[in-house]
Amino acid sequence: MYLIANIIVCVCALTGFIYGGIKFFRPRKALYAQMITLSLGCITFGRLFYIVRLLTGGNISDSFQLGFLGLIGSLMFFFSSNFGTVNSLLDDGSKAFGKYRLIALAAPLAAVIMYVALFLLSDVSLLWKILGAVLTVFVMEASYFNLKHLIFPDVDFGVVKCLRPYNLLALVYSAAIFVECCALSRGNELLTLICCCVTGLTAAAMMPTIVRGIKKWKT
Amino acid sequence: MENMIYILYICMFVPLLLSLPLIQKASRGIMVFILIGISSALFVSEVNGIMLKTLGYNTLYVTTTVTPATEEIIKALPILVYAFIITDNRDKLLAASFALGIGFALFENTYILVTSVDNVSIAWAVVRGFSTALMHGICTAAVGYGMSFVKKKKKLFYCGTFSLLMLAIIYHGIFNMLVQSEELKYFGFLLPMATYIPLIIALVFRVRNKKNKT
Repeated sequence: MYLIANIIVCVCALTGFIYGGIKFFRPRKALYAQMITLSLGCITFGRLFYIVRLLTGGNISDSFQLGFLGLIGSLMFFFSSNFGTVNSLLDDGSKAFGKYRLIALAAPLAAVIMYVALFLLSDVSLLWKILGAVLTVFVMEASYFNLKHLIFPDVDFGVVKCLRPYNLLALVYSAAIFVECCALSRGNELLTLICCCVTGLTAAAMMPTIVRGIKKWKT
Repeated sequence: MENMIYILYICMFVPLLLSLPLIQKASRGIMVFILIGISSALFVSEVNGIMLKTLGYNTLYVTTTVTPATEEIIKALPILVYAFIITDNRDKLLAASFALGIGFALFENTYILVTSVDNVSIAWAVVRGFSTALMHGICTAAVGYGMSFVKKKKKLFYCGTFSLLMLAIIYHGIFNMLVQSEELKYFGFLLPMATYIPLIIALVFRVRNKKNKT
């Protein structure tokens, strides 16, 4: 079941990665989209690691696996794309936008609550408590900017509106991998498969959404 | 022999070091990074030895999960220093990081050759030459690409380099796992080539486009 689940995500992310690579890895193309493409690359290679581990007779839930770094890498790229490229265009740090910054804190707060409820206070192993904590930190930073850019008013450039669908997908992705890790820590194969299907669908939908968003933004 | 790795290091490092003054300036930088790569490989072998001991000599787990991380981090450090202090030019960084990776692979291959001389063949040399050397080169070059943002876009540099390092570690881990498995080892040999060829094609197109514009 884990093998099928990871193959689904890997194929979906690889499709987006190749599409993004062809579309955006050229001179003078949006750095924002290049970051999202690389995040899909992280998802692809992370899942490929799990697939190869399972095919070579290994187990992915008993010990730390490098595939986990794929999740971290993808979240770092999501964070980097928003924080490093778009955020400074939208938010000048003025008091007028204070309430949006405050509301956006709901996403990292939800991640912390989920971590405490699903990992820290439950009877999962110490390894999963540590992995859950690491994942929570990265989900917090990525989801903060995703939610912020989802609710932020479109003042000057019309950028926010175009990228809202992507930010929504990124939020769903963050939630799905969080629940997937929770399911994996408890050996719940069905929930893992469902989460992987959601992760795969969001990963596959991300690149077309970005392409459409950037096209609207430029026209 | 107990000190074989140090003997090998001296035998490789010293002649290359002595050749530095004779090499033209443009190529000297690349040679320096090959030398750093060789030195990194020696350092990594010590670190990996400690990790293996700490984790109870579980060779498969260590080589597929721990050594990719230690090797990629140690290879990235000289490039980080180079990007911070000398230049953040993307082309120079990519060339330097690829050279470092190749130097690393050169030493690793030679050490494996010397320590398991009865089990090696021409096929082994071809496979190691094309797969391991390329894999190390590609992984370090990927991290070098992220470091080219060190001065231009600091916000991107920190996150981007960290994420590319993650990507390189996973790629290295997949490669190590594939080449150690009986059924899938041929995929492992092909993986670096499958990554290298599209990159070279993209590079050729880029150079051709530049030429056409000028």
